[in-house]
Amino acid sequence: MKTIKSVLCVLFFMLSFVTSAQDLGPIVQNVNKATDVSGLIQVRSQLERFVMAQPQQWLAEYYLAYVDVQLSFRVPDKNEKSKYLSEAETSLNNLSALKETDKSEIYTLKGFRLYALIASDPQTNGPKYSGEIMNAYGTALGINPNNPRAVILSALFKNDMAKFMHQGYDNFQKDVDKAATLFANESKTVLTPTWGQNWVDYALNKK
Amino acid sequence: MQHKMKKIQLLVLLSFAAVLSSFAQLHTVEGKVLNQQSNPLANANVFIKGTIDGSITDSLGYFRFTTSQQGEITLLVRLLGYADLTVQVPEKKLAGLVLKLRPDNITLDNVVVTAGNFRLKGNGQFGKMSAVDIVTTAGSTGDLYHSLRTLPGAQMVGESGKLFIRGGDSNETQTYIDEMHVLSPYTTTGDNIPVRGKYSPFMFEGINFSTGACSSEYAQGLSSVLALNTKDVSPITKIGVNASTVGMSGGGTQAFEKGSVSVNLDYQNLKPYYTLFPDRMNWIQPYSLFSGSSQIRFNPNQRTVFKTFIGYDRTTFIQQLTSSDNLTTRDFGMKNDNFYLNSTFQRTTESGYKIFAGAAFSFKNQHIDNAVIPADTYRDNEWEIHLKTKVTKRFTDFLRLNVGMENFTRHDETTYSYSSTVHSDSINHSIGALFATAIFNINPNLYAELSDRMEYTSINNLWNSNPRLALSYNLGGVHFSGIIGKYTQLPENKYLLLNKKLLDEQCIQYVGGVYYEKKDKVYRIETYYKTYRDLALQEPAVLNSEGYGHSKGVDVFFNDRALIKNFEYMLAYSFNLSKRKYQEYTELSTPQYATMHNASISIKYSIPAVKSILGITNRYASGRPYHDPTKDGVMNSTTGFYNSVDMSLTYLASKKVIIYASASNLLGRQNVYNYTYSADTNSPGGYRKTPVIDSSNHFFYIGIFITLSGKTAYDVSNF
Repeated sequence: MKTIKSVLCVLFFMLSFVTSAQDLGPIVQNVNKATDVSGLIQVRSQLERFVMAQPQQWLAEYYLAYVDVQLSFRVPDKNEKSKYLSEAETSLNNLSALKETDKSEIYTLKGFRLYALIASDPQTNGPKYSGEIMNAYGTALGINPNNPRAVILSALFKNDMAKFMHQGYDNFQKDVDKAATLFANESKTVLTPTWGQNWVDYALNKK
Repeated sequence: MQHKMKKIQLLVLLSFAAVLSSFAQLHTVEGKVLNQQSNPLANANVFIKGTIDGSITDSLGYFRFTTSQQGEITLLVRLLGYADLTVQVPEKKLAGLVLKLRPDNITLDNVVVTAGNFRLKGNGQFGKMSAVDIVTTAGSTGDLYHSLRTLPGAQMVGESGKLFIRGGDSNETQTYIDEMHVLSPYTTTGDNIPVRGKYSPFMFEGINFSTGACSSEYAQGLSSVLALNTKDVSPITKIGVNASTVGMSGGGTQAFEKGSVSVNLDYQNLKPYYTLFPDRMNWIQPYSLFSGSSQIRFNPNQRTVFKTFIGYDRTTFIQQLTSSDNLTTRDFGMKNDNFYLNSTFQRTTESGYKIFAGAAFSFKNQHIDNAVIPADTYRDNEWEIHLKTKVTKRFTDFLRLNVGMENFTRHDETTYSYSSTVHSDSINHSIGALFATAIFNINPNLYAELSDRMEYTSINNLWNSNPRLALSYNLGGVHFSGIIGKYTQLPENKYLLLNKKLLDEQCIQYVGGVYYEKKDKVYRIETYYKTYRDLALQEPAVLNSEGYGHSKGVDVFFNDRALIKNFEYMLAYSFNLSKRKYQEYTELSTPQYATMHNASISIKYSIPAVKSILGITNRYASGRPYHDPTKDGVMNSTTGFYNSVDMSLTYLASKKVIIYASASNLLGRQNVYNYTYSADTNSPGGYRKTPVIDSSNHFFYIGIFITLSGKTAYDVSNF
């Protein structure tokens, strides 16, 4: 009997190993580790496979869009940039069709993609998308005022705009502090978006 | 018991072995991914469909991964810019795979450069010029049509404001909004005061300006087509107002999850402006325009778009005119009402069919008192219904098809009354057409487009076939393109009203060009030759279709956005030779509107330090031909050249306030467009010569745009 038990145990272990290989967790960890173009392309391909295999998993599609935005910052060529940004748009559109997603996170990522679009060609896209960006972050914060990513990205964008207008954004420090606290208290699971701490660091260094 | 136990043990062991063996028997899948030219493709994602087993290719196109899948596998290869490739691979052939990818539809459809087609390109993500680009171009005075005149192919006809393209008349250019025809896209103005476009450039996302050789789906444009696309979605709820030297307007958009509704109201009155800056005209009641429009958009899902646009406008003014013959005066009084409704539906099916259906209704009612002589009345009542449907589908990498049909129903009635005499003319007719275009991607660098448009015009009971062929070749980024095509158009209504048997006017165009685009620089050079026949000709006793003519020339364009940071400049030059015997030109001669040389230089400079965009445009055109009755021959003289330096300044006063100012003709040069001659009563047989000039040397526009709603910024609120 004991043998059966131990054998079953081993078997269970083996089977669970088989399913965990299909898991999103390690891939998400790779997302946070990837820093250069080749690393991002590598993890992008993993996410793409995952999305194709399990299209109902919103987080995979979400991270695919996020990685595409990251790639757009890092590839030098303008055409490449716009290819990744249009892929990210497709993913974000697919996400709107899914149920049981975190809408606040999706709107934040929408705003972040538009920010990347402006970064790729500020002269043309700045006036074109700045209204839409504010709208996206505003909607994200409307759904969840404590979304740390929405808080910090919105603060940074408002601050940049105010600077452009030769004015100051009065709540900047308050927002950055709020985002820092929210990030510190965020549970770091692989089942929810966790990126964005670096933007707080960036905001703190900037001053 | 012992026996049973053994059995279970065996069973468990067996299944355990099965699981183990699945790990033990890992298969290696290995090979390379190439493009059609057998060059390696890096970063292609190669994996087994439905699993996460896979890898990406290296810089030499190689991939290699292991899988526990048994038996035949289905491989999927994905790479941005290429079509997905699915292949079945038997278990025994998992090594040494060679997989070839083809460019995807988007890539196939985008690489094409067609001669004569001017897609206004910013470097924006989707390659289209934005409204901001238009209004910040100096000389545009915020108007779409005026800004297009800085592009090559357009001729400077300062007193008109309409588009005259490549030696063609302005009525040879048609405007389409969302693929549907617009009967009267321009405002109504007084004598020699340039018209403007009725629609705010902020309404449009895509502006495609074809200076010739347009697609077979656009009708009744012998020389060019302006195809405008409204925005598909408007995600921002906003409201705003603006006040300017010519009037005020306000409007807003309410965005919903699956659509939006926009409303805009505009009132213009030039009385205050003329009080400050009097012009040469004698206004009894200065120009005033009221317009209201609304746009409704609905996107039930990603693949479907419904759009409806409704616009109404009313123009009124009374202008005192002096007849050149006997110096009597009359109060030319204009009332003009317009209504436009445009509704379209677009859907892309799962299987890749793009279906379009649309309906448009244009209505115009014009009433003029003292139109030609004191105490007369002229009325014009015109409407058009345009129905259109089309289907587009890419069948293979090699072939894309676009087929459709459309119908125009038109009515025009003019009534002229003077004391007790009333003269009335009317026409009711229709134009029906079938059109088809086949686009062949012969190889990645060579592309051909073959199209035809079969059109029936009921008024003269004639069928016309308009075959066209376009070829485009890409040689290492330099695009060569050539087009031969036939275009037809009914004569202007003023001639059709007098003779319903007039033939459809015909034009055959030959266009060739070279295009090169690199790193924020665009170079284009195009040459064309057009022959016209069956043009309406007013001979002394008879109105017939014996008119003919030709037009030839070269257009050059250069745009550089990256020479200096924040600085952009654009050069355009057009050379044109145009001769026609048509309408009132009873001998082959250069029409009054055609100029041989047209050149413009536009610069834009963003100055972040003062939150401003400065634009300066200089436009030059050689002299206009005119007819001097004291000399021999027709169109025997030429006016002096045209030159105007225009400036515009866009200033972001705060994130909710934009101030826009523009001034035309800074140097104050008096440009002469034409001379009119009238019999001189003081010296019999002599003539009095009057120049046709601008109503004032300068035009100043200062506007303030204020956003009232919370979230948006730097955004003009109309639509």
